[in-house]
Amino acid sequence: MNQIDVEPEVLEVSALGRAYGPVDDGVIARTGPLAGTSKCATTGTVLAAWDVSFAVAAGEALGVIGESGSGKSTVMRCIAGDVVPSAGTVTLRRSDGSFATITEMSPAEVRGLRVHDLAIVHQNPADGLDLRITAGGNIADPLTAAGWRNFGSIRERAGELLRRTEVPLERMDDPVGAFSGGMRQRVQLARALANNPSVVLLDEPTTGLDASVAAGVLDLIRSLLEEFSIAAVVVSHDFSVIEMLTQRCVVMQHGRVVEHGLTDQLLEDPIHPYSQRLVGAARS
Amino acid sequence: MSRTEVLDVAGLTKSFTLHNIDGRSVVALDGVDLTVKAGEHVALAGSSGAGKSSLLKCVYRTYLPSSGSVVLVDEHGERIDLLSLSEREIVALRGRRLGYVSQFLRSQPRRTALQIVADAAVMRGVVRGDAVAMAEMALNRLRLDRSLWDVHASVLSGGERQRVNLAAGTVSPPRLLLLDEPVSALDPANRVAALDLIGSLTESGVAVLSVFHDLEAMERLASRVVLMRAGRVIEDGPPTEVLQLELGVAR
Repeated sequence: MNQIDVEPEVLEVSALGRAYGPVDDGVIARTGPLAGTSKCATTGTVLAAWDVSFAVAAGEALGVIGESGSGKSTVMRCIAGDVVPSAGTVTLRRSDGSFATITEMSPAEVRGLRVHDLAIVHQNPADGLDLRITAGGNIADPLTAAGWRNFGSIRERAGELLRRTEVPLERMDDPVGAFSGGMRQRVQLARALANNPSVVLLDEPTTGLDASVAAGVLDLIRSLLEEFSIAAVVVSHDFSVIEMLTQRCVVMQHGRVVEHGLTDQLLEDPIHPYSQRLVGAARS
Repeated sequence: MSRTEVLDVAGLTKSFTLHNIDGRSVVALDGVDLTVKAGEHVALAGSSGAGKSSLLKCVYRTYLPSSGSVVLVDEHGERIDLLSLSEREIVALRGRRLGYVSQFLRSQPRRTALQIVADAAVMRGVVRGDAVAMAEMALNRLRLDRSLWDVHASVLSGGERQRVNLAAGTVSPPRLLLLDEPVSALDPANRVAALDLIGSLTESGVAVLSVFHDLEAMERLASRVVLMRAGRVIEDGPPTEVLQLELGVAR
């Protein structure tokens, strides 16, 4: 269909799998939604994720939903380059237009990619920030890693990012450990955006925040994703978060994608039995 | 003057399989054929459960149709089969060509009434500067008090929110607009203003497919009324004739 223009894909996950133990056709057949488990009863192999494919375009957010243990985090870690997959590839289009196959990169190359092109916002700010150092220092970290050397420009950029994420500038030199939960998430966002990444992974970005604070952070995330035309992957067990941030979703169960669709369709007309159960539970 | 077709629905069926309730199947649409032309307002009538909202949701792809075809004819005369499009293509289409206004406003928290309407215009390709001016016009037209424009929509009353929702759905209108009870919470004076606005959309060439629960709105706005029962179209014709029939059915 060429009469509808869609943005180019920035992140492509293709037939991704992560196995703990040997894999053969039997293992694949004895695991997954039909088998009702991600662990093979014969060999003991665990397929934490298998045959996971999706693509995300610039300015688009894709949701990944499923219960604990469904493989969401494994997929996120493989994209981030923290876990080496057993199968499949993850490809990212950098802001300069070149392509990087994360799954084939060395640890040093992955670190470089994480500085420039791929940022992660963790559920727990302590995983993404050093709580002992200042907000400004936390943001300066990825900037210096990207080669920024001038103290004045770094402070100026950090100030600009804090303003954009609605953190009062007078708190720039306070240690992040002294910040409220909502403010820590804002600093994490500021840090994530420091080098204009093309992809941002959001892992339960508002879990643990009060409802009113969460609403503010969500609103900010959505505006930032739009403004900077970022490709985002959002993991959350909270459907209101998924509904607000994403246009499309994949549903995972026992390490496999059981359904993909438009977010409003998945929430109003889930087709797969597992999706129906998941949505039914959230709605009741 | 023959008008161009905008929506062509043929043999559309939708059934829900309830896997977690003994796997039973519920039929919502049972072979619907329907067309809407540019500048035409087709109103769906029938009792609750007849399939009116299901039809709108199948066209918007909030429901995944089971079989049949839903074709949107674009401004160049190209026929786009909505059921064959990828999810990303549907998302792109939902901007400028396909719109849906429900009874309820769904928006980000912390957005003001004016921002919500201006955002909707931007999503349909209007530049930001013009979008704000268009949003102001739309809110004025729906008589939303100016003092409420910069207030977060979450604190507005039901009727005020519904007007914001209608303004957002109709500002720089899409080629095909689906309306699902868009004026249900409005008092008489605001309702008249809202119906005027919807009438003017049709005059400017927008194709409208609607569900209204009141016959007066249908009589006033519709070029045709399509009467549904049990997921099928049982009558399709001029409003007065079909509505007479519907009253008969209701009795």
